[in-house]
Amino acid sequence: MTELIISQVVNGLVLGFLYVLIAIGLSIIFGMLGIVNFAHGVYFALGAYFALTLRDSLGPWAIVLAPLGVGVVGVIIEMTLMRPLYGKEPLLGLFMTFGIALFIEELIRTIWGAAGHPFNPPAWLSGFIVWGPVLVTKYRLFVLVVTVLILVALWLFLQGTRYGRIIRAGSRDPEMVSMLGINLKRVFTAVFGLGTAVAGIAGVLAAPLWSVVPSMSEAAIMPAFVVVTIGGLGSFGGAVISGLLVGVSVALSIQFWPAASTAVMYALMILILLVRPRGLLGESWERFE
Amino acid sequence: MKTNDKSGFGINRRTLLAGAAFGATQLAAPFVITARAAEAIKIGLLLPKSGPYAVQGEIGHNGAQIAIDDFGGKVLDRPIDLIWLDESSPQSTQQNMRKLIEEEKVAAVQGGVSSGDVLAIMPVAERAKTLLMASGPNATEITGKNCSKYTFRVDLPNKVTVNSVYPLLKERGKKWYFVVASYAWGIDAYNQMKDVVVKGGGTVVGYDQAPLGTTDYSSYLLKVRQAKPDVVYVGLGGTDLTNFLKQMKEIGLTKQMALSAPIVNDTDLWAAGPDAAFGIYPKIWNYTGAHLAKRSADFAAAYTKKHGGPPEAEGWQDWFGMTSILTAIKETKSTDSAKLVGFLEEHKFEGYKDTPIFFRNFDHQLVQPLLVAQVKDKITDKYDYFDIKSEYPKDASALNEAYGSQADIGCTFKA
Repeated sequence: MTELIISQVVNGLVLGFLYVLIAIGLSIIFGMLGIVNFAHGVYFALGAYFALTLRDSLGPWAIVLAPLGVGVVGVIIEMTLMRPLYGKEPLLGLFMTFGIALFIEELIRTIWGAAGHPFNPPAWLSGFIVWGPVLVTKYRLFVLVVTVLILVALWLFLQGTRYGRIIRAGSRDPEMVSMLGINLKRVFTAVFGLGTAVAGIAGVLAAPLWSVVPSMSEAAIMPAFVVVTIGGLGSFGGAVISGLLVGVSVALSIQFWPAASTAVMYALMILILLVRPRGLLGESWERFE
Repeated sequence: MKTNDKSGFGINRRTLLAGAAFGATQLAAPFVITARAAEAIKIGLLLPKSGPYAVQGEIGHNGAQIAIDDFGGKVLDRPIDLIWLDESSPQSTQQNMRKLIEEEKVAAVQGGVSSGDVLAIMPVAERAKTLLMASGPNATEITGKNCSKYTFRVDLPNKVTVNSVYPLLKERGKKWYFVVASYAWGIDAYNQMKDVVVKGGGTVVGYDQAPLGTTDYSSYLLKVRQAKPDVVYVGLGGTDLTNFLKQMKEIGLTKQMALSAPIVNDTDLWAAGPDAAFGIYPKIWNYTGAHLAKRSADFAAAYTKKHGGPPEAEGWQDWFGMTSILTAIKETKSTDSAKLVGFLEEHKFEGYKDTPIFFRNFDHQLVQPLLVAQVKDKITDKYDYFDIKSEYPKDASALNEAYGSQADIGCTFKA
């Protein structure tokens, strides 16, 4: 039994990294722009579908270009549909992102059809590694490494560069930053594009694991919200801890009480919100209080 | 002479307008009368537009539409209006069922991929005395202990399908592992197959219920791998089955053990792809092969022409269901559900399968041969995934018996 538990915990941690990857984009867009982005799942789906279309002609380059394509879609949507709503009733933004989610899902259905598409991992990443009771597939290890690299790169970018400092300052006090003569509009557009591109990366990497269907956004949106809520809105560290926590909880519930494995992440969220309403590492932000 | 009239005909603007309005009513009148004479016959469709069974929903809708096309879009000289509402959970499907009956005043309703949803709408149909053609659910009780006078089922009951594949699976070994969706269909599939396995001397080495719409089965597959079963029997469908197959491939379990399910939809395997798809399944219908009957072959051709690819099983089910509703309306010259029920209980449908098929009058189950299908070892075509191993039952004379006698079924219609 101990062996099975160890194997499930490791499997849960690896799955957790996938949840973290799915949640980062949502966390960026909420943390920096204060937008609760219900359309996060469709950017995830678009990543997979762009890769599907590009992989035949471009091969491995599709993995790089598909998220960039999603980022471009994000930039266009921010400039045309999101920007007019800044500073207005937050509910409008919610409705807008919800509408975008429905629209893009239908668009995917119209362009690529309702039926699912096969999507295999590249041959060099197929197979798995076994250490004692632990089994990890090479592909999931690859996803883990990519997730860690993205997190490190984002952290370095936000903490170490001038641009990152503007984003962080702008997210806390947009008026003051504007008064310093910085064009915040462009900064917001770039942040939105970055968040959607990261959602696109998650979609590309999840495609070989999960079904590639128009409704695949559903597989991403709920875990992403749960992870971000548990971790604390806008906190990267919180998202990592909570993603891993959700992954391990799901894996262990499948070992002992599988029928509850979907409910367990919501139970965890309720529990944490009762104890810490801001989430694990959520800070007090003037704008959201 | 003083005049304010510039037209020279003594008509001012006001009279012109009045005249125009009158003329318009005269022109429109014939259309109004025509529309009244040919008021559309509305038929409701409840199939998923989202969630794990969304693909089946779309293809089922396409199939039903082809049936309407076959009738030239009309029955009893009235246009047919198909109203498709979402089937996403028992509660919301029940609401949509009420909406179809009370607001849209439909003549009949077809649909239901999920047995849980169908079990929720059957009492609504019964109370409203409206025909329900259950095209896609498989839980045994729908035409068993929960049967209803107004419900007819096209799809196969689990109790029948388990017997069709068991002889082939038994050859693979005695240790069975079950992973099933945690609702009516999956749980019934486990109960039915477990009984057959235990009676045959086999053992259940694992049984997990997975929530409908699970995306990641890796933790289940670790348990399966640990238990080393000879056969894995999954009560999973839609994207659940696709995910399961993809992740089996990922951890190297593909073709390492036998795999089966209570029923299979081609699209779930097409989505998993030729490398990940495998297994032996009961199949209600296949778009190609020696068992394809004339009318169904024509359907497959019409579907392929319209949608650019062949129909999967769900397309046939909804095409046949809609065909049977429209045939009943045409033959009885009525939209009264009581008359439609009477017709469907007696009619034999010929040319759809290689033997006449019919709804039994004591449980309303469509009695039909089914196919035992195995995924090809080497798949070369985008759609042609299956080798048909046999037909079940092998002899058409055993058909009625294969679906169970009236005493076994335990169905009694409320008066």
